[in-house]
This record gives sequence, C-alpha cells and structure tokens, in this order.
Amino acid sequence: MNEENGNGGGPAAAERRDTVIETRGLARDFKDLRAIDGLDLTVRRGELFGLIGPDGAGKTTTLRLLAGLLKITDGSATVAGRDLTREPEAVKPHIGYMAQRFSLYAELTVMENLRFFSELYDVLPRERGERTDRLLSFAGLTPFKSRRAEHLSGGMKKKLALACTLIHQPPILLLDEPTTGVDPVSRREFWDILTELYTGGTTILVTTPYMDEADRCTQVGLIYQGQLIRCAAPEAIRAGIGEELIELQTDQWRKAQVVAEDLPGVSQVMTYGDSLHLLVDAAEERLPDIETRLEEEGIPYRSLRATRPRMEEAFISLVRDRERERLR
Amino acid sequence: MSLRHLKAVVLKEIRHVLRDRWTFILVLVTPISLLFIMAYALTVDIEDVPIAVMDHDQSAVSRNFIQQLSAGEELDVVARANSLEEVERLLVDGTIKVGVIIQPAFGEYLVGQRGLRLQVIIDGTEPESGTFGMEQVAQRTEAFVVRSLPTGSAEWLRPIELKTRALYNPGLEPRVDLVPGLISMVLGLPALSVALALSREREHGTLEQVLVTPISRADLLVGKMIPYIAIGMINVVAIPIMAMAAFGIPFRGSFGLFFLVSIVFLFAMLSMGTLIGVFMRTQPAALALSFLVIFFPGFFMTGIFYPIAAMPDELQMEAMLLPGTHYAIITRSIFLRAVGLEILWPNVLALAGLGVVFTAVAAFFFKKRLG
Ligand SMILES: Nc1ncnc2c1ncn2[C@@H]1O[C@H](COP(=O)(O)OP(=O)(O)O)[C@@H](O)[C@H]1O
Ligand SMILES: [Mg+2]
Repeated sequence: MNEENGNGGGPAAAERRDTVIETRGLARDFKDLRAIDGLDLTVRRGELFGLIGPDGAGKTTTLRLLAGLLKITDGSATVAGRDLTREPEAVKPHIGYMAQRFSLYAELTVMENLRFFSELYDVLPRERGERTDRLLSFAGLTPFKSRRAEHLSGGMKKKLALACTLIHQPPILLLDEPTTGVDPVSRREFWDILTELYTGGTTILVTTPYMDEADRCTQVGLIYQGQLIRCAAPEAIRAGIGEELIELQTDQWRKAQVVAEDLPGVSQVMTYGDSLHLLVDAAEERLPDIETRLEEEGIPYRSLRATRPRMEEAFISLVRDRERERLR
Repeated sequence: MSLRHLKAVVLKEIRHVLRDRWTFILVLVTPISLLFIMAYALTVDIEDVPIAVMDHDQSAVSRNFIQQLSAGEELDVVARANSLEEVERLLVDGTIKVGVIIQPAFGEYLVGQRGLRLQVIIDGTEPESGTFGMEQVAQRTEAFVVRSLPTGSAEWLRPIELKTRALYNPGLEPRVDLVPGLISMVLGLPALSVALALSREREHGTLEQVLVTPISRADLLVGKMIPYIAIGMINVVAIPIMAMAAFGIPFRGSFGLFFLVSIVFLFAMLSMGTLIGVFMRTQPAALALSFLVIFFPGFFMTGIFYPIAAMPDELQMEAMLLPGTHYAIITRSIFLRAVGLEILWPNVLALAGLGVVFTAVAAFFFKKRLG
C-alpha cells in the first residue's frame, strides 16, 4: 500500500523517487514512419546518461518528446515526476533543453541572448547579474559578451546555447548532440563542462553519435532505429556483448582482411589504421586457428592478441544480434 | 499572461527589426516608397482614356451621343470601328482602353424609352483605366439621356456606381480617391512582416528554444505583434502627411479618429499575418500565402480600384471579411468627406471583430510544439 503511493520506505519506493526520467513503451510516428518504437528509458537522479546512436536513430525525436516539443503517439513518459501526456507545460521549468541545431538569436549579442532566456525563465532580477556573469566565465565567453551570436565560432555557439539552458539552474538537462560539428579541443572542453555539472549534482541526458564519448558517461543507452538495444554502464555494455575482440597488427592488412573474413567464428572485421579488429565468438579458442591460417597464407604480422572491445564494436555486435533476431 | 515575458519578446523583436537590414527595409522603408510608386504608376495614364466607337445605328441621336462622349477631357475617341473584330484588335494592341458599341436602333429605343442599346467593352488587363473609362462613358450616357428625354422620365436608367466618385471627388482626379485606399494596402506590409517573423523563427530553429521555456502562447504571439503595430503606427502618421504634401490630398476629417481607427486596422491586419505565420513553416511559404490572402485580394477586392458594388454577390460577402475593405471605406470617408464615428462605427466594429477572430484562431492553432 505504502509502496503504491510512493511514500513508504521500501527499496522500490526509493528507486522510484530517484527516477527523474522514465518512459514506458514510448512511441512517436511521423506519418508512416515509426521513429521511436517502444522506448523504455530510465534515468536516475545524478546520472550522466549518454543516449548514443547513429544518425537517424531517433535521438533528437526522443529528446523532443521528453522536452514536450512533440506529441507522444503511444506509451508514457514522466520527467521530474510529471506526466508529459497530461501536463507538458509543468515539466518546462525543471528542464534545460539544448537543441541539436544552433537555435539562439543570431542578431542578438551573447549577453542579450542570456538576458532574454533569463526573463522567459523568470530568473529574479537581483539574481540575474551574478548568474549571467558566472555562466559567462563558466563557458569561457566573458570576453565575447557583447559579440553578436552570429559571429561566434561553432564551439562558442554551443557553449552559449548551453549557458542559456543553464540560466534557470534546471535539475535536469537534455542536451542534443552538443559535441557534433565542433573541433576536438572544444569537444573536450565541452565534456569537461558536462562533467563539472554532473559533479554538481545535475542529472544530464546527452545524445551523441560518437561511440568514443560513451566512456565519459556513467550510464549509456544505445539507440538504433527507434529502439533501445542496450542500457547499462559503459564497461558493462562492452563486457556483455557475447563476443570478443582480437587485434591483429600487420603491414598486409588488405590481404589479411580478406582471409580473416572467411575464418570460422569471425563475425566482423574492422580496420583501425594499420591494425584489424576481429569480432569473434571466443577469442582464446580462435587465436590458434587464425595464427595457422595467416602462416599458411604467408601473411606476416607484428602482433595478434585478444583485447577489450570498444563501444563501437559493441554497438555493431549488438545491432547484428538484433538483426538476426528480427530475421528469425 | 506575464508582463515580463511579453516585454522580453517585444524587446527582442524590436532589436531584430533594427538590426536585420531586410526586415528594416520591409517594415519602415518600403511602405512609404510603395505608396508613391503605386500612386504614380496607377494614375499617370488615367486622364485621357483612349476609346473607340462603333456606330451601328448611324442616326442623328447616335451621332449626337458620340459628340457628347468626346466632349470633355477624359475620353479621347481615337478610332471609329466598323466591326467587333476591329474593336477587339484595337483593345488587344493597346490603342484603346474602352470600346463603345452603339447597337442598331439605339436612337429609336432611347426616344421610345424602351432601353439603352449600348455595349461597353473594357480592357480587363488594365482595370484602373478601364474602369475609369467605363465610368466616364456611363456618366456621359446618363447626362445625354437625361438631356434627350423629358424631365423625370429617365428614372429607369440607373448606371452602376458613379455617384460616389462624382460627388466627393468632383474633379475626378483618380489620385485623390486612390491614395486613402492605397494606405490600407501599404499597411499590409507590417502584416507580412509578422507572418515572416513567425515563420522565420520556425525556419531558423529559434522557436524550438523558446517553446521549451514556460512562456505562454498568448505572450509569445502578442509579443511578436506589438512591435509591428508600433512600426505600423509610424507609417500611419507619416503616410497621410506625405500624401497631403506630395499629392495635395485633402485631409478633411479628424486626424485623431484616423489614428485610432488605424490602430484597430493594424491589429486586424497583424492578426491575419500572425495566422499566416502560425501555419506556414518557411518564409517563402508565408510570403506566397500573404500575397494570396493579403495583397492580391487587397488590391482587387477591397474596393480600392474596383467598385465593390460591381462585384458578384459572393465576392462582395468575401470582401467584407477583409480588413482592407472596411479600412478603405473609413480612410476615404475621413480623408475626403470628414465623416465621423457616428457613420463609420459599423466598419470600425467589423475591423475589431475580424482582429479578435483572427487572433483567436491563430492562438487556437498555435501549439507549443514542433511539427
Ligand atoms: N519532423 C519529422 N518529420 C518526418 N520524419 C522525421 C521528423 N523528424 C525526424 N524524422 C525521422 O525520424 C527518424 C529519427 O530522426 P531523429 O530523431 O532526428 O534521429 P537522430 O537525432 O538520432 O539523428 C529519422 O528517420 C528521421 O528521418
Ligand atoms: Mg539528431
């Protein structure tokens, strides 16, 4: 009874209170296309959650649904304890949403943009000055505060957009591909900023198409064709794919690639500079076979060893599992 | 409603207008230049409309009638045609704007008070000189008929729509009559601007960032309209002064009344623009629809050039749904006839009503959502 209305002690109730974003069977159609297809997503308080998937996977659509920008076709979603189908407006003061596209006013200055959003979010005038100053220095934009937004670099635009979404100090952040189209230095700086916010207790749901950014998150959801194919801590995803990885360093990688693709137990061969990555069912069992085969073909190699799969390999492996399941 | 949100949106929009060169030109420079260009272009050739006459009657009465037609300055009989084909050819090659066909037994019918055997063909591609020419023909015909018949017996003849112009614009100088009507067209530009401003925010993605804030739909829409109403008011003050100075248009009525009515008109026009902006997702689409529902009908349906009474009944009904129709009536009345609110109130009320309805529909369909 107590657990039912969420007031009681038990562990289930505690978990429910800690859940800040929850979707159940969330779906969204665009005409004939089911862009989001039965998404069950849970983000807990204080997580830095990375929603990762290729272009067109449904990341933007998911975030727009959670921000109340799109109507939910099916299923349910609660954000900050409010049901999005019933009271989308009630969610808005509690979230900071940053669109994938730059969507601030190009002809307004950095300061004017911040001021505009501080007023729309009802930031008290006496707090405004101190808060904008702090955000400007936090985002490294203080020297540019009277520059028009249209004259900022790509990285600075993203930082300004983030500053605008932080102006009302929201406990939940929804950031849509904040690091796409940004130079590597700005990208790293951006992740440092996110880590700082995470350390400060903000719950962050961030999307990215870059698999290598997964390890900067505490929790990762892999999204593909509108479905969540795995949701766990990054190490757990890499460890739990049911496949293992062999790294082969050779000067004749073209020839080696052709040979490796036909070997039993090898499901995927990928190139990384001068090395090949082979996804296999069991690394230790297959290593001797591969060694023999390479010698037969007369392909010299510098090293051949089992290694930890990266997120990208994990993703490819999981997608293939899913396709196979679908065919059955 | 939140005054703070409203103020923020208004301020932002004003900054946009002042900083975006094209918006600035569109809302502040174009209206006045457009008024001048239109007023000149539309009036330059109207005096001396060239006409052709085809006389199938060849009686003394018809010869008299032709003389009457070419008596004044406004009509110039440049050709005598022998067939309908010839009239048509002259119209097509632009030699004449109006063809007058006197049908057989014209004189006989007239004297016998059995009807008017007269046909007038105008060049539809140039409605302003064509209409003007037709009115001239009608007016002279009436004068001729009245003179040829015993007093009081010409009652059966009532040519369409010619008294208004003749009464209040005795010199029949078209410009005097056109300019007040043109003001209503020119004030359509702020409406276009607000339609563009809304669709621009969708196109540029800025709307997305605003829609996730707690701002109410009304604050957002009204906040966007206010700056353009204010800019429209600058035009409302500037245009009559220019019109008086440049064209010698009389301003016989109350300027205060004109100003107040203009605010109501701007509200109605801008709510129309807002409605367009709510539905159109890109600026080209908003532009196209604005032309279709604001400028095109504003030109042809509001009675500025083409008398409303001469339009088919269904179109007359539709014309009453256009703010421009009411405003054209109001401005003409105030400018030229010093008419007051005691006569104009139905039109003012209609403007206010249209504004409220358009705004309500816009607010209803404007959701705080994308797509
Ligand atoms: N407004 C829209 N209208 C029609 N289809 C859309 C719309 N937005 C997204 N889609 C489609 O939905 C799918 C998911 O898109 P999106 O959420 O933008 O993916 P991502 O952000 O992961 O790249 C894509 O196939 C895309 O084409
Ligand atoms: Mg996207």
